[in-house]
Amino acid sequence: MSDLKVNKVTVSYKKQTGIKEASLQAQSGEIIGFIGADGAGKSSLMHAIAGVIRFEGEISYFGHNYHSPREAEKIKPHTGLMPQGIGLVLYETLTVAEHLSFFANIRGLRQDAAFRAYQEKLLHMAGLSDFTDRQAGKLSGGMMQKLSLICTLLHRPKLLILDEPTTGVDPLSRLELWEILDTIRKEEGTIIVVSTAYMQEAAKMDRVLLFDGGEIIARGTVPELTESVRAYTFEAGACPEKEDVESDCFTFDRRSYSLDPLSVPRAEPTLEALFFVNALRTKRAIPKIEIDARESKMEIPESVMEARGLTKRFGNFTANDHIDMRLRGGDIVGLLGANGTGKTTFMKMLLGLYPIDEGELTLLGKSIRSSADRQELKAKIGYVSQHFALYKDMTVRENLIYFANMHHIPVATAIKRINRYAHELGFDAYMDHSPNELPLGINQRFSVAASLLHEPVILFLDEPTSGVDTIARAQFWEMLHRLKASWGISILITTHYMSEAEYCNRVVLMRQGRKIADDTVEKLYAEHPDAENFEEIFLSYYRDEI
Amino acid sequence: MKRSVVKAYILKEFTELFRSKLIIMVYLMPSMIMLLFGYGIHMEVTHARTLIIDNDQSHFSRMLTAKFEHSTYFNAEVTLMSETEALHRIKQAKADIIVIIPSSFEKRLLHGQKSEIGVFVDGAFPNRGMTMESYVQGVILDTAQQIGGTLGKRGGMITVNSRNLFNQAMRDEDAIVPGLIGLVLLVAPAILSALMIVKEKERGTIFNFYASPLGRGEFLAAKLIPGFLLHSLNIFILFLWATELFGVPFRGSFWLYWLAAEIYILISLSIGMLISVITKQQIVAVVLTIIITIIPGFLYSGILMPISSMAGESYIEAHLFPVMYFNHIVYDSFLAGTGLASAKTVEYLGILILYAVIFLTLGTFLLKKELK
Repeated sequence: MSDLKVNKVTVSYKKQTGIKEASLQAQSGEIIGFIGADGAGKSSLMHAIAGVIRFEGEISYFGHNYHSPREAEKIKPHTGLMPQGIGLVLYETLTVAEHLSFFANIRGLRQDAAFRAYQEKLLHMAGLSDFTDRQAGKLSGGMMQKLSLICTLLHRPKLLILDEPTTGVDPLSRLELWEILDTIRKEEGTIIVVSTAYMQEAAKMDRVLLFDGGEIIARGTVPELTESVRAYTFEAGACPEKEDVESDCFTFDRRSYSLDPLSVPRAEPTLEALFFVNALRTKRAIPKIEIDARESKMEIPESVMEARGLTKRFGNFTANDHIDMRLRGGDIVGLLGANGTGKTTFMKMLLGLYPIDEGELTLLGKSIRSSADRQELKAKIGYVSQHFALYKDMTVRENLIYFANMHHIPVATAIKRINRYAHELGFDAYMDHSPNELPLGINQRFSVAASLLHEPVILFLDEPTSGVDTIARAQFWEMLHRLKASWGISILITTHYMSEAEYCNRVVLMRQGRKIADDTVEKLYAEHPDAENFEEIFLSYYRDEI
Repeated sequence: MKRSVVKAYILKEFTELFRSKLIIMVYLMPSMIMLLFGYGIHMEVTHARTLIIDNDQSHFSRMLTAKFEHSTYFNAEVTLMSETEALHRIKQAKADIIVIIPSSFEKRLLHGQKSEIGVFVDGAFPNRGMTMESYVQGVILDTAQQIGGTLGKRGGMITVNSRNLFNQAMRDEDAIVPGLIGLVLLVAPAILSALMIVKEKERGTIFNFYASPLGRGEFLAAKLIPGFLLHSLNIFILFLWATELFGVPFRGSFWLYWLAAEIYILISLSIGMLISVITKQQIVAVVLTIIITIIPGFLYSGILMPISSMAGESYIEAHLFPVMYFNHIVYDSFLAGTGLASAKTVEYLGILILYAVIFLTLGTFLLKKELK
């Protein structure tokens, strides 16, 4: 008999179905992972289990059956839900300590010595013991998520539902979040249902469910799942060239995926392979991305942008402390660091959005001093912000025309370019949809198109891949590499996916406003011979001095 | 309903209100509306710029011009300019009224003949024009009686002795300011309660309510009680503005005014709650609340016109909005002071309580503890 039993649950919205006839079972102490693209139905099923949305079907929790949010009321004292979004359940103006007492009070917990000890322990695990007087709005993203988690854990739920708790969170905070979860699961015997976009995290779970198009299409332990796609995973580089666009072979990150046997040896499959093989199986075209050379021909000098000792202060707080960085033509530089280390500030300073407090910035050999110079910066740089700055009430086409107007591009040229990008980046089918109807992956690609309209020499991307599913991310990187190849464009990108650092030529590591490393990926691997993946290298820099 | 849970939630609400500085709006907005509207709306006309062309220059004509010169309603200027020139001054908006006294004014009157005085009034604003016209007529009539008296004619026998009841001084403040209380206490609490609920929806913190055992009653109590307490203070602040700053008399029972105002705040808060049921964004909630409350609050407050003189649709609409019932009690408390002795006041107080009960029940019923 399972402790949690979900039986044929369907969640429907006005226009579409969230999840269709999903079933699952879980035992106490188990961690069940949900993976899949956004809009695949993970959140819908989580909301149904947590009893916050109307659904059809039956859920049974330790013998309590419920069919609606109203019936779920009786299990709510035993459940905890952390919805998707950083700091979503926190009140900006309340301090960490006030949050804890608020959540304890609305759950009606007796605040005796045992409770206080438990609370202290949670605070300690989250590394928030020293920040109890800080308001939630002033915490970094990683700290917010840890606070959200311990607030959800205060009443010792026996069923914990976490919707992408680690998306947009830096590797270190992510690791700490998982340590908390692991401890709680062992000590309290909690059933944990968690969705994630990080496959390394999914690999730690007891069982994984793969969602696609509102259905659960595969389930099992991680070895079982990877085994199921072993037959279709090959070493990279041997996709047969086919003229038709409907490709049944896809190559990404040193591996090729194909339903038909390839002439190359098979490779060790990963959870990512699951996504690619599934896309191939469902005949969902993974559009080929091809990018032509830019229209305006220009000589790209060896050093495109150079920052020397750039410093930015906000009051007493130094957000960027004497940072040097050099972008060469055709460089893809990954800017890595924990939440709140000043990556976005640095980018905004390079962009001319913030005045420079100290240091020197040169663009194409010319020093940037006046605000007119800074205006020049914006004309040479394409920028995609963390939360794609798109107008939700306009269609994709209207958005792009608007951005073209902002850059004073003649209408005829603009329309020609827009159509070309739409075709090359594979979003022509969505031109007349509004951004909030589209998956994140599409929005992300057309945001890049918007930032390329004025044919910049540099592209800044601030966490463009957060929350985007595996395939969309793979395509995104494919696009960046092609862009680099045909345009000679330099790219500066921030990301929390450490696996993505390996697709960059060079990585710059930041910690607390300072640069702590700046080297090629190969050299960093050479310096850290024990590291199995880039995440370990990253963490080693952070662990050293804490 | 657990008291400790509600208490903890209310404590959180107060902390947020203070730290987000929303508390400033709670007290600034009502007083702002009161001061802006209180000083801004003026029905009566004073210091109308009057040009008097005295072609007669006689004893009687000077009697008439003196009356204009001594009145605060007019800024009279006796000139000898031509009629066309004077009309040109009105066109340039440099004068409001022209009074032309004919050259044979005194002579004709002494002969017992009819004499005509020419009056031109700037009617660009009809209300103002009509008011000025009636003032001028009043002054002339008054003078005519006096002249009639000196001539020993019968005209002197009748004098009009009119008295305005309830607002003897016919002061604008007395007519407008009490009505503003009904407007302010309808708008401000509604915005606050709508904001407090929709803010949680917009931010996502509403999940803390959805996913916890917190009851709907507890949640609503926590959302409505802070607004109720904070705005209760406004009942006194607005009262003080009215009586101390605008000098409006208060003749009725303060207890009645207070009780009615508290019930009225409850109605307003539940209007905000009902709006929060259908909106997801704070900005939409604010705009919607303002549209729903300010327009009827102003039109049917009795500031612009008495409800009893409305007909047809406007009469029905006026009776649909709670503002009319409350303002009846407020005007009565300030100006008349009949209080509960009047059956209508009792009836209207009952209707207000009914509104409060219906709206609160409706809000509790419609607020769902689930995602849409």
